[in-house]
Amino acid sequence: MMSLISVDNLTKRYGRRTGVVGLDFNVPAGAMFGFLGPNGAGKTTTIRVLLGFLRPTGGKAGVFGLNTWRDSARIKAEVGYVPGDLRFYPWLTCKSALKIFGQVRGRDLMPAGAELSQDFDLDPDVRVRSMSRGMRQKLGLILALVHEPRLLVLDEPTASLDPLMQKKLYDHLRSLVSAGHTVFFSSHTLSEVEQLCDHVVILREGKLVADETLENLRARARRDVTIVWQDSVKLDAVTVPGFIDVYERHNRQWSASLTGSATELIRWGAQQPIEDLTIGQPDLARLFEQYYE
Amino acid sequence: MRGLIAKTLRETRFTIILLVLSLGAMEMLLAYILPMFIGEEYGQWLKVKFIRQFVTVMLGTEVGQSISPRMIAAIAWVHMMVLAIVFSQAIAFCTRVPAGEVDRGTVDCLLALPVSRKKLYLCESLVWLLAGMLTVLIGLAGNAIGGRGAPEEMKMTWRQSLIVITNLYCLYLAVGGITWLVSSLSDRRGRAVGVVLAIVLGSFFLNFISQFWNPAKSLAFLGVLNYYRPLMILRNGAWPVADISTLVGVGGVAWLFGGIIFARRDIRTT
Repeated sequence: MMSLISVDNLTKRYGRRTGVVGLDFNVPAGAMFGFLGPNGAGKTTTIRVLLGFLRPTGGKAGVFGLNTWRDSARIKAEVGYVPGDLRFYPWLTCKSALKIFGQVRGRDLMPAGAELSQDFDLDPDVRVRSMSRGMRQKLGLILALVHEPRLLVLDEPTASLDPLMQKKLYDHLRSLVSAGHTVFFSSHTLSEVEQLCDHVVILREGKLVADETLENLRARARRDVTIVWQDSVKLDAVTVPGFIDVYERHNRQWSASLTGSATELIRWGAQQPIEDLTIGQPDLARLFEQYYE
Repeated sequence: MRGLIAKTLRETRFTIILLVLSLGAMEMLLAYILPMFIGEEYGQWLKVKFIRQFVTVMLGTEVGQSISPRMIAAIAWVHMMVLAIVFSQAIAFCTRVPAGEVDRGTVDCLLALPVSRKKLYLCESLVWLLAGMLTVLIGLAGNAIGGRGAPEEMKMTWRQSLIVITNLYCLYLAVGGITWLVSSLSDRRGRAVGVVLAIVLGSFFLNFISQFWNPAKSLAFLGVLNYYRPLMILRNGAWPVADISTLVGVGGVAWLFGGIIFARRDIRTT
């Protein structure tokens, strides 16, 4: 599949401070791509390089096969962007923004904008100075979505949205991706990336620590196992098999992580005096914590 | 381009109009009041060395020991308030981009649009040039209206008026050009305004002390106010080509470097 974003050995330094070092990843067209990392990991730096706000110190970054620094204006014609720290002019309304943005983009954004503002429940005549943080976030999303960009870059876009609006946004993103658009979704919240994305890149301290599909990550993530022993069992005599890692023993209930396969566990469990055996979903959170630590 | 200019006008129109009207009103007031100061009794003040030197600094040329109608007419164009309004127009406008936009974090919204930084800089500069033109023209209109009842010998010909406002406009360009450069180097609007104010006040101070202190005379050429001399224009009626060229040169070079820096610098809001 063709890469929409290609990052090749990208390094960005701010004087002595390092933003990102030696990043390498590709975002295929039509993907919902998660970009994860704790605060200060270098996610925003990478996004600012991709949009041509920052010049790489080393390496290369390309979008649509164009150089992000040299061809920034051309790239942005087909990009929608919601910054993490979203600020607008206090005098701006959704309507005036659509008019100005439409003039700059050379197309009438009013009809699509009106539809989106209705969808996101935003009054198009309210000035930014009177908007709550959530309303400003909605305005940012409308302006990023309205021209149906080929690539949508979102830097922690759900921070100020209520759950209902988050769901609406997720629906929009899913329909964009199903129509062949690409979403680059930066977040430090695992749950939303897990819900939405099919591929993730994880950064820590400016370095790439994982670049995998969610499916692969899930396969690698350990499952939680709960075993409840029958009353007759002498727990001291039980031999713990190698494919589980018991981390808590509470009376007759053990909590463990499955390090081997579920089949092995079931086969072993069938021969034990067990009252109950539960195998949980793959615990991605624990896996991510390992990356973050 | 239309959208960017619309955005710039929407954002700056109140400040531009306020300062344009202020200059018009100030010129009207000065042109109305100043003729009252023609006369021997006011001429006595020029015998005081300090006052004579101060008036010389303001007018940018030696004034002698008597008040002439031309000198009075020239004061309307060098009055502190007039210069303050013109400089405010240049500084308030030119510190908006990029320093002001970066400072308030709106630059992300602006640069997310499909326009190059060069184009953005050009659009902003176009409005800056027009705002300056409007400012000096309304100033001239105010001067003409306020000075209707002034004695004939105080009235400027259209040619003299044109030269004076051209010189004033070039001063606006020089201060604006320097402001673009400082703004392009800065992430904080307040800091950019402070630096430009220091440069403008330094220029005035240099002009001032060069009247008293010989070593400063050799440095007076560094100040932009050294190239704005309406009294000379009213006296000889000639185009101050060297002054105008210097102001346009300084402003143009500073503006050009400002644009190059803005196009090449990193934009960070955090």
